[in-house]
Amino acid sequence: MQIASSILRFTARKLLRLLILLGAVAVFSFVLINLSPIDPVNAYIGADMLLISPEQRALIATRWGLDQPMTVRFARWAEQILQGNLGVSIIFNQPVATVIADRFSTSLALMATAWILSGAIGFVLGILAGMREGSLIDRAIRLYAYTLASSPTFWVALLLLIIFSVSLKWAPFCCASPPGLLPDQVTITQRLQHLILPAITLSIVGVANMALHTRQKLIEVLQSEYALFARAQGESIWGLVQNHGIRNVALPAITLQGAALSELFGGAVLAEQVFSYPGLGQATVQAAIRSDVPLLLGIVFFSAIFVFVGNTLADLAYQVIDPRIRIGGGAQ
Amino acid sequence: MRRMRTLLLGLIIGLLWLSACGTPTAPAPTQTTTTASQPTTAPVAPATTRSAPQQLILAIGGESEDGYDPTLGWGRYGSPLFQSTLLQRNEQLQLVNDLATDYTISADKLVWTINIRQDAKFSDGKPVTSEDVAYTFTKAQESGGKTDVTTLDKAVVTGPYQVELHLKQPQITFVQRLATLGIVPKHAHGPDYAQKPIGSGPYTLVSWEKGKQLIVEANPLYYGTQPQIKRLVFLFVDSEGDGAFIAAKAGQVQVASVPPSLAVQQIPNMRLVDVKSVDNRGIMFPYVADEGKKTPTGYPIGNNVTADRAIRQAINYVIDRKALVQGVLEGYGSPAYGPVSGLAWEQPQATIEDTNLATAKQLLADGGWQAGSDGVLVKDGLKAAFTLIYPASDATRQALALSAADMVRPLGITINVEGKGWDDIEKLMHSNAILFGWGSHDQTEMYNLYHSSAAGQGFYNTGYYANQSIDSTLDLALGAPSEQEAIAFWQKAQWDGTNGFTTKGDAAWAWLVNLDHTYFVDQCLDIGTPQIEPHGHGWPITAGIVNWKWTCK
Repeated sequence: MQIASSILRFTARKLLRLLILLGAVAVFSFVLINLSPIDPVNAYIGADMLLISPEQRALIATRWGLDQPMTVRFARWAEQILQGNLGVSIIFNQPVATVIADRFSTSLALMATAWILSGAIGFVLGILAGMREGSLIDRAIRLYAYTLASSPTFWVALLLLIIFSVSLKWAPFCCASPPGLLPDQVTITQRLQHLILPAITLSIVGVANMALHTRQKLIEVLQSEYALFARAQGESIWGLVQNHGIRNVALPAITLQGAALSELFGGAVLAEQVFSYPGLGQATVQAAIRSDVPLLLGIVFFSAIFVFVGNTLADLAYQVIDPRIRIGGGAQ
Repeated sequence: MRRMRTLLLGLIIGLLWLSACGTPTAPAPTQTTTTASQPTTAPVAPATTRSAPQQLILAIGGESEDGYDPTLGWGRYGSPLFQSTLLQRNEQLQLVNDLATDYTISADKLVWTINIRQDAKFSDGKPVTSEDVAYTFTKAQESGGKTDVTTLDKAVVTGPYQVELHLKQPQITFVQRLATLGIVPKHAHGPDYAQKPIGSGPYTLVSWEKGKQLIVEANPLYYGTQPQIKRLVFLFVDSEGDGAFIAAKAGQVQVASVPPSLAVQQIPNMRLVDVKSVDNRGIMFPYVADEGKKTPTGYPIGNNVTADRAIRQAINYVIDRKALVQGVLEGYGSPAYGPVSGLAWEQPQATIEDTNLATAKQLLADGGWQAGSDGVLVKDGLKAAFTLIYPASDATRQALALSAADMVRPLGITINVEGKGWDDIEKLMHSNAILFGWGSHDQTEMYNLYHSSAAGQGFYNTGYYANQSIDSTLDLALGAPSEQEAIAFWQKAQWDGTNGFTTKGDAAWAWLVNLDHTYFVDQCLDIGTPQIEPHGHGWPITAGIVNWKWTCK
């Protein structure tokens, strides 16, 4: 009974926070985007600027409601949002929800693969390095992590693209499936082939953070008094890591992995750009540089919810791993 | 950023190439790895096979993100692929009939009567009638898209295959709408149309995966010659940067549009096609002196140095345009002396002998400019110095601006070159010289660049150029009864022996170069004679796509 009510309280508190977060995100993004110097009409017309008369510009502005002041537009937009309607994208001339669903379905596989790989590999590398601090393997892993942590994602992406796609021709050079095939002709194998290189790019850049943090935490654990005590009782290094290390190291790792969701969005933008992978990242870049307010807000909303859910899951995972902060268990 | 990436790419390719030479055991590029897993029924175009592929893959960009609806601006450069237009511009950019069989313009030039062919069908089998033409023009006039049909008053159906277009005022450049506005079916045009276009053009849409590719197939109901290439795949990789180049290098595409910096590379089985364009770059000078005036939006107008004709003409004469083409554009370009290089309405007499320091110095001396103590020219206490602004994101314009400033320095004119964002340029473009680039098949552009009534409206005549005699010549051109007759006036506005907006006249701009558009094309693919392309690099090359041929057996 007590547990049920605390779960309820937990959920209610989380939901309230999410609502406040979304409200703040909405207001800030809307104001910021509207203060952006990019005129969406100019961005839309592009090089045809000299062929579009002032009358036609007015028609374009009216079509998107840009002839109204910012407050009116915000009120209209907020009203639509409350009805569950994200509006229509200026660039794609389609409902924002459709565009996001379409793009995210492409990005999802990429992000999920990269997220799991970078988390798992980073954790294992961190443990290996932390276990043997100062050894050759530790130094090799640190060198790798520092190098990768300071390499721009797009540079790594470009390098891999040149080596594996252009030179060796082991991997496809672009896109989420082979060019010239209809969507229903594409096999799972082909999709995986096209996923590998962008996912590896995101992973090898993403492991650095996880590996370094895990390593540091494990060193701390191994230097603690209880570890020393266990050592004195004859526990091997492997046993120490298994019985004391992993559980303690897992907590910060999970926080980090939850937070990595937001970085993943950022990294995906760049990787998708280089690999011409038509996911959410590409759409975000376009929405921003062409001042597509409805689409950009839709994506901001979506990613806010996405990251929030990720962090909440991390919170919940703590309670599975660490009995000290279990719901309802804290009071005893 | 893009330039950096391109440089980086070049470097890496160079290194890899070197390393490949040093190690003969490096795995040879084979096609098998990428094709082996593809289902045998799927059409595949391996680059190693030289027989006709079942489909062409083109990496030339040009995705219309908001869909393929002509009433919203799809196909505004002509040849909308899915739809057909009333008129067309052929390789020489002359107007020829397409859907229209003939058209006449009334004596008051307000009513255009158009007869259309009776054998045209939409790809859904329904005939194309005057109802559809009237609907298309009315719809395009109402909707806020990228095609401007605001001159149209109304479209009236006068017979099953005859339609009258009534204009608000005479405007011969309306003929450009006839040549670019694809006719949409009235019965099948709705909110979804942009995603699933139906038209009477040479190709129909098979599949469009946004951001990735567009697949089209020949339309069996097309009234014109059936294209030899039955299936086309437009692959939307980054064609302004290095995406298309990588695709071509990987042997996966038959046509790739690449920036000139990558055009110097070699790709096996592909040749470089270097297409002339009117994609021009030039220096716009503020024409009036700074008298403290402001635009309606509050930005300053005028510049005392560039308001002096001697300065503008001298700059025009001293610049070495051939050197700009060689140095900045790697040879992929041509000198520009006006805004419409190579088009039928260019005035050939407006061309000058440039790289001419003596003439330039003479002009300045005649204009009353004398060398000051620091070598910079002075006239009535005014120093010959001004700022030239280029869009900071464009490396080519930066190089052009810096080179032009260097070429002008021996005259004693100091040009301070600055890069800015477009939002800043909008504030500064009435009082500073700007490195702009335009270029269109539509003469309206020339009108808007030089007519005094266009001054201060957005990016139109930003320098507030004003010359009554040029104004009236431009008005005569716009009000001419046919494009042929208008051309004489368009040419006169450029230079008529005594007057003109080009160098010998008012020298309102210093036009510098036209960019060539560079493409890698499969050696087996004959793409005919491409048109002189407008500002956009990429899609315009498809203008003659119906006549493309695979020449290898």
